[in-house]
Amino acid sequence: MKTENGIQTVGLTGTAALTAIGLMMAAPAWAQDRQTIVHGADEEPATLDPAEVEPGEGGEAIIFQVYERLLSVGPDSPELLPALATTVPTIENGLISEDGLTFRFPLREGVTFHDGSPFTADDVKFSWDRVISLSLPGSGAEILSDRVVETRVIDDYTFEVEIAEPDASFLYSAVLPTTASIVSQEAVEANGGDADGEPNEFMAGNMVGTGPYTFVSWNRTENLTLEVNEGYWGTPANDNVRLEMGVDPDVRVLGLRAGEFDTIETDPSYIADFEGMDGVEIYSEGLLLEPLHIGFNMNVPEGALPEGDTIPEDFFADVRIRQAFNYAFNYDAFINGALAGFGEVNPHYVPIGVFGYDPEAPRYDTQDLAKAEELFRETGYWDSGFTATVIVESGSLFEIQALILKDSIEGLNPDLRINVLGVAEAVFDEALAQSPLNYAMWAKNGDPAADPIDYLQTYSHPDGEWGEVHGFRSGYGDPDAIADLIDAAAVELDRTARAGMISELQTLLYEDPMWLIGAQEGVVTAYRDRIEGMVIQPLWPRPSINFAILDKTN
Amino acid sequence: MQLRDYVIRRLILLPFLIIGVSIIVFSLTRIAGSPIGVYLSHEMSAAEVAQLEERFHLNDPLWTQYFYWVKGVFQGDFGWSGVASAAVADVFPAKLAATMELSLFSAFVAVVLGLWLGTFAGSRRNQWQDHVTRVVAVSGASLPLFWFGILLLIVFWANLGWFPVGRSDADIWASINHPTGFYIIDAILAGSLTALWDAIWHLILPALTLGFGAVAIITRMMRSALVEELQQDYVDAARAKGLPERLVLRRHARRNALVPTVTVIGLTLAFLMQGAIAAEIIFRWPGLGRWMASAVVRGDQATIMTYVLFTSVLFLLTNLIVDIIYAKLDPRVRLGD
Repeated sequence: MKTENGIQTVGLTGTAALTAIGLMMAAPAWAQDRQTIVHGADEEPATLDPAEVEPGEGGEAIIFQVYERLLSVGPDSPELLPALATTVPTIENGLISEDGLTFRFPLREGVTFHDGSPFTADDVKFSWDRVISLSLPGSGAEILSDRVVETRVIDDYTFEVEIAEPDASFLYSAVLPTTASIVSQEAVEANGGDADGEPNEFMAGNMVGTGPYTFVSWNRTENLTLEVNEGYWGTPANDNVRLEMGVDPDVRVLGLRAGEFDTIETDPSYIADFEGMDGVEIYSEGLLLEPLHIGFNMNVPEGALPEGDTIPEDFFADVRIRQAFNYAFNYDAFINGALAGFGEVNPHYVPIGVFGYDPEAPRYDTQDLAKAEELFRETGYWDSGFTATVIVESGSLFEIQALILKDSIEGLNPDLRINVLGVAEAVFDEALAQSPLNYAMWAKNGDPAADPIDYLQTYSHPDGEWGEVHGFRSGYGDPDAIADLIDAAAVELDRTARAGMISELQTLLYEDPMWLIGAQEGVVTAYRDRIEGMVIQPLWPRPSINFAILDKTN
Repeated sequence: MQLRDYVIRRLILLPFLIIGVSIIVFSLTRIAGSPIGVYLSHEMSAAEVAQLEERFHLNDPLWTQYFYWVKGVFQGDFGWSGVASAAVADVFPAKLAATMELSLFSAFVAVVLGLWLGTFAGSRRNQWQDHVTRVVAVSGASLPLFWFGILLLIVFWANLGWFPVGRSDADIWASINHPTGFYIIDAILAGSLTALWDAIWHLILPALTLGFGAVAIITRMMRSALVEELQQDYVDAARAKGLPERLVLRRHARRNALVPTVTVIGLTLAFLMQGAIAAEIIFRWPGLGRWMASAVVRGDQATIMTYVLFTSVLFLLTNLIVDIIYAKLDPRVRLGD
């Protein structure tokens, strides 16, 4: 009897052990214990609602992890990839109509939102229509509202959009940004719905997406926690994520050193602190798509310039002045000093790494004081002198750029005076939100984009966003030629022809510069060596990290 | 004047003082910038800016805007914090609890240490113990708080890894409920030793940073007052009665030396609230100070006004309490004269 019991016990134990081993072997990879990647972030999000988020703002990076869009870009190239859509539309595959006005997206089946509701074409239509109808101040709504004529649900898994005019950049400029993220219609309607022009409080502080991470909590001004979405339709993420927010830059550096943070947001000036540090790796590859620029305003209202400025309001309408500033700037000092060598000269408003960038186009790449002097003499300012103010957010990288401009110009001739007016972020933002603008110059960086037309329309078109504010029409030698070329490139669907137009524009904008671009900042960050798979893709929202592809090891 | 009458008179005056403070706070913040500054960006169209101005009543006269604000305050609506992306009233209690916990812990450390060191030094005047205490006190009073904090951070966090920063370990914090918002109290209520240890462990570096300056001030004040009292005739009389030196010190001299020191302690609390801003930034402490610093930089006026209004009222009340304690400690003090 005893023996029988013993055999039974052994049998049962063996069966249990085998079952356990079997279960362990059968368990999916995600069943392992999750670690938490701790990221030292710079900025607190202003909102988590794709319909409210401002392009370039801190919330974009979080929305990017939790929500998905119809298309995406991978870590290694700017090539468009399917995401919630199963195919990237092209004219060749018939998903873009011959006239370039209709885009059809076959959608992924079997996807569910984090609240359990199924993803269908209705959600896509709802998400895009919502952005357009809300049109919240400061949001990226215009990327859709300026283009989209109608959105249509063909069936549960086919979505179609009609745009106003052929647009070669539509997929990059309108489908890829976080504003076009797909939200759960059920979640929005269950939590107050939408009223035109009014933000939805639930959506501003919560996220219900389809992405590899689910939203857990947001302790205001402290941290935000994301958990792996175990039911993700694609390759699941490896680790949970906690973003520690608003951490002082020096404390972030110390935190990485202490091992408390796995990844941090930092700028090139801190990188020297990490060199040779145990357990810390430095990532530096590629360039950010946010050129560091100084704007020339030729549309200053009469009498509005700061006290002490002696320049006339239309000072920068003279192309020779704008060229002289570009020749005088000490690019080497900025790149090798403030950017610690992590940056490239790129004077055109078509960043390196974006389609159409032409390395052969003429450029201001070195300081040419003789040429600057010649131009200042031609204008007469060399003898009469001038004082001009550049407004900038104090304590920022942009302030250093402005100070280098001051050194460059005043070093050339002490009678040419540049005042650097450093102000708090809020004061700077308020000053820059005015139109017309009361300052002749300001320093900041451009907003990142994936398509050259986004840059050219925003920063170079005479009737574009900055063209109107700065009065580019009074500055360009032939504003209509520039406008026509940008407009033509925007609707040109033939890539070769389009590249040719963009190259031509780079030459024109070299001869008639509207900005002084100090540098295109290099991608650089530091992280703990226990993080595997670190990649920074400048086309992803800053800090340009996709946590789902990282793996934290012990 | 009777103490009770004095307190009633001060309480009657309090609302008028608060109204005065609120007008000053409102005017100063409006001078500093637009209340919609935190929301503005250059991408906004004129219509979008007008939409925001409408929402914040900026087209109304200033006094009407003031009354909108006061009305909101009375209804518990302190406005929307652009920095925290939430209603100020929703975020404020948690931040206040974090700051109060840090300030009170620092104050406790500062008062206990300061009184003990002051007594220790004062009763050993011009001996080596007195000189050592003086060095400590001078260091505490002269080292800039932010520098001392960063020094502690580099040595004890980044290099040795002995102490953490922040307010808690995220997992331990999430493991208990937080009915009061005071981590130590919540840990005790939850009966979690792990959480209690975590709370204290996180408090040590910021409290030391914040309290060091206060220790110095209290120590020096206590020492000076004690030295003065020990030279009084009543001390000689007590000694002549044959009282042991320990009792002369504790029951007679130290009690009287506390009178001027209490005033300093009251002011020290104000110092701790101000110092909390730097300490919270350095140690990633999620309190009012860190929130306020971001609000100032980003022009988040709803947060700034609430914070300044709150601290003003706090100071008015603290002063009142200090006056009452002062009168209790020294019956010779005539209130209201």
